[in-house]
Amino acid sequence: MTTLARLEQWKEHGVISPEQHALLAGLSRGEPFSLFLELNILLYAGILAFVAGLGWTVSTWSQQLGDVLVVTVLSAMLAACFWYCFSRAPAWSPSEVSSPSLVFDYLLYLGALIWSVELAYLESRMHLLSGQWDLYVLTTAALFFFLAYRFDNRFVLSLALSSLAGWFGLAISHWPSHQEVAYRKYAILYSLFVGIAGTLLQRRGLKPHFFGTYLNVAANVLFWALLSGVFTRQHYVLWFLALLACCGASLAWGLPRREFSFVAYAAVYGYVGVSSILIRDIQTATALLSYFVITGIAMLAMLVQIARRFGREV
Amino acid sequence: MRAYSASSEEALLTRTLLKDWAGEGFITESQHRRMEQETACELRCTNIFLRIVLFLFTLVILGAAAALCFVVFRLQPAAQSAGIFLLIFAAVSYATAEFAVSRARLYRYGIEEALATCSVGFLCAGLQAVLFSGQRYSPKPDGTELLVPAIGAIVSLWIWHRFGFPYAFLAAMIFVLLLPGYWTSSHSAQHLIVAAFYAAGLIIVATVRSRDRLTYLDYRYSIVEALLWLGIYLAINLHLSSADLLKQWWGGPQITAEFSRTFYWITWVLIWCLPPVVLARGLRRKDRRVIAVGAIMAILTLVTNKPYLGGQRHTWDPMLLGAFLIGVALFIRRWLAHGPGEIRHGFTAKRLSGKDKRWMNAGSAAVGLVSANSITLSPQTASRDFHFDGGDAGGGGASSDF
Repeated sequence: MTTLARLEQWKEHGVISPEQHALLAGLSRGEPFSLFLELNILLYAGILAFVAGLGWTVSTWSQQLGDVLVVTVLSAMLAACFWYCFSRAPAWSPSEVSSPSLVFDYLLYLGALIWSVELAYLESRMHLLSGQWDLYVLTTAALFFFLAYRFDNRFVLSLALSSLAGWFGLAISHWPSHQEVAYRKYAILYSLFVGIAGTLLQRRGLKPHFFGTYLNVAANVLFWALLSGVFTRQHYVLWFLALLACCGASLAWGLPRREFSFVAYAAVYGYVGVSSILIRDIQTATALLSYFVITGIAMLAMLVQIARRFGREV
Repeated sequence: MRAYSASSEEALLTRTLLKDWAGEGFITESQHRRMEQETACELRCTNIFLRIVLFLFTLVILGAAAALCFVVFRLQPAAQSAGIFLLIFAAVSYATAEFAVSRARLYRYGIEEALATCSVGFLCAGLQAVLFSGQRYSPKPDGTELLVPAIGAIVSLWIWHRFGFPYAFLAAMIFVLLLPGYWTSSHSAQHLIVAAFYAAGLIIVATVRSRDRLTYLDYRYSIVEALLWLGIYLAINLHLSSADLLKQWWGGPQITAEFSRTFYWITWVLIWCLPPVVLARGLRRKDRRVIAVGAIMAILTLVTNKPYLGGQRHTWDPMLLGAFLIGVALFIRRWLAHGPGEIRHGFTAKRLSGKDKRWMNAGSAAVGLVSANSITLSPQTASRDFHFDGGDAGGGGASSDF
């Protein structure tokens, strides 16, 4: 029985009203047909292509165009984007606010990207902060966080989180030695900072719908950092224990809330980490392959149980 | 012939729609519960994350099990005995996939998908080893080696038909790509043969599809039609389907020498004709996937037009393309918004489904994840000669390079 036939039946049995039937039957037939997603993707692709071309043009022709012209044009575009956003934005609210128009979110995103291009241009041409890139990146992250929270924009929030990660990376680059270890530690620090900040903001009711983005970024960075520690030949035990603890936490978080991305993180990162330890001393191909067959089946059985108990989709 | 009954698939489709409508508030929670009870089906589904992980672990098990057999029985990969083992593995994988569907009632669960996918891989590798062990894999004049891709294409089509996995159809299309190389060395003829195969498939799908409008099969055919349109376009667009694509785009020899002038310019005309045709068909049928493919084709045509005409690339070309895309999106949005009830000819720019919002949220989070992983700058970038590459420093993602 097709959906349309079922809707007809439900209308006859009084489960849905005639008005609901008309609406739902129309939606089933694609009447009206929404182009919302397509237009958003088109705008996103357009913005990315535009900024890519802008950056390429500015970097290639900066000598011929001159600093004044380049900076003026970039500043004018930046000002236009931000003027549009600030003049059209609805009143700020700590909860989720829908965008006033289709183009609004993308103009804000465009403005954020142009800011990055202009800042990079200014520093590369004028060396205003004598190569202190971390300050630029930190300022950029702060600006992007402000914009993301002011205008309720996930794209800009993602840029802010990326910029913050960039700042952590640049801060380490000034350090003299042991950079691999330093990177790992700072990646963990970054993920803890992002996770805790996201939790606090959610608890305070400040854009609680952003929490998922914070948590996913924090979890992935943390798992990568711990895995890189597990892969080292020395002093890996602590990293391994931390990885197991994080896998447990990820499962404990994901299962009751039906956030299955966290279950997937725990399964994949955990399996890779545990396997990297267990197969270190395996000498023969038979033992190695047997390991993958047996543990693969065990993982499959466990995941099927999880899927049966928690993960039924429809 | 199909692994799942039509009633089960229709029930699943209805349940998916009900969930979406309940999320959007078109039906109340009590209505949703009652309607869900009436659309109960015995198929066992899971969410996308567990599906992907189950798929991966099944692949690990199958790959390791096959390799273990090779090691235990000391088989040479190219030997006939190895081929027979692979054929047995193919049969076992396929039988297990059938069992998982018929007994465990798995539906898009990852496990049965990996089993069916591996059965094609094992079959092709096994056939290759059994039929051509000891020979180099190269196009032969007698053409017997085309048996492997031909059987691969047929079995992939069967798996698509039986289980409905869209990527099985894509695999069949890729196998078809390998066939013309065994028949002719002419590049033009190879492009034509591939396009002809896909066009024949398209005609069949379009004919069959018209009978199944607004059913679960319509969704299945929609993906296939979109893939076929894209396949035809890629076969025709010589600047995308040429073997030395990257070399040509970065200043290598022009591909005009590879093809006759007439053929070259006919394909140029066709890459301009196809996108409007596909877009018009997608819009007329209100088929999201075909519309998307039409739009992708249009963008690819704009991107490859200059190389086709032998024009010089400029740094501002991406800017113009971006401005054009933004302009088109805004124009369509405004045009639709000015219609009665913000609807024109049955189309609207308003969001009507919670799925769209979920896609947008997941997309923006993914952008964040990707950039967060690639953001850490190397130490030397902190010097005065810092290269602002990829917009990293600001997390911008712009392809600027100072």
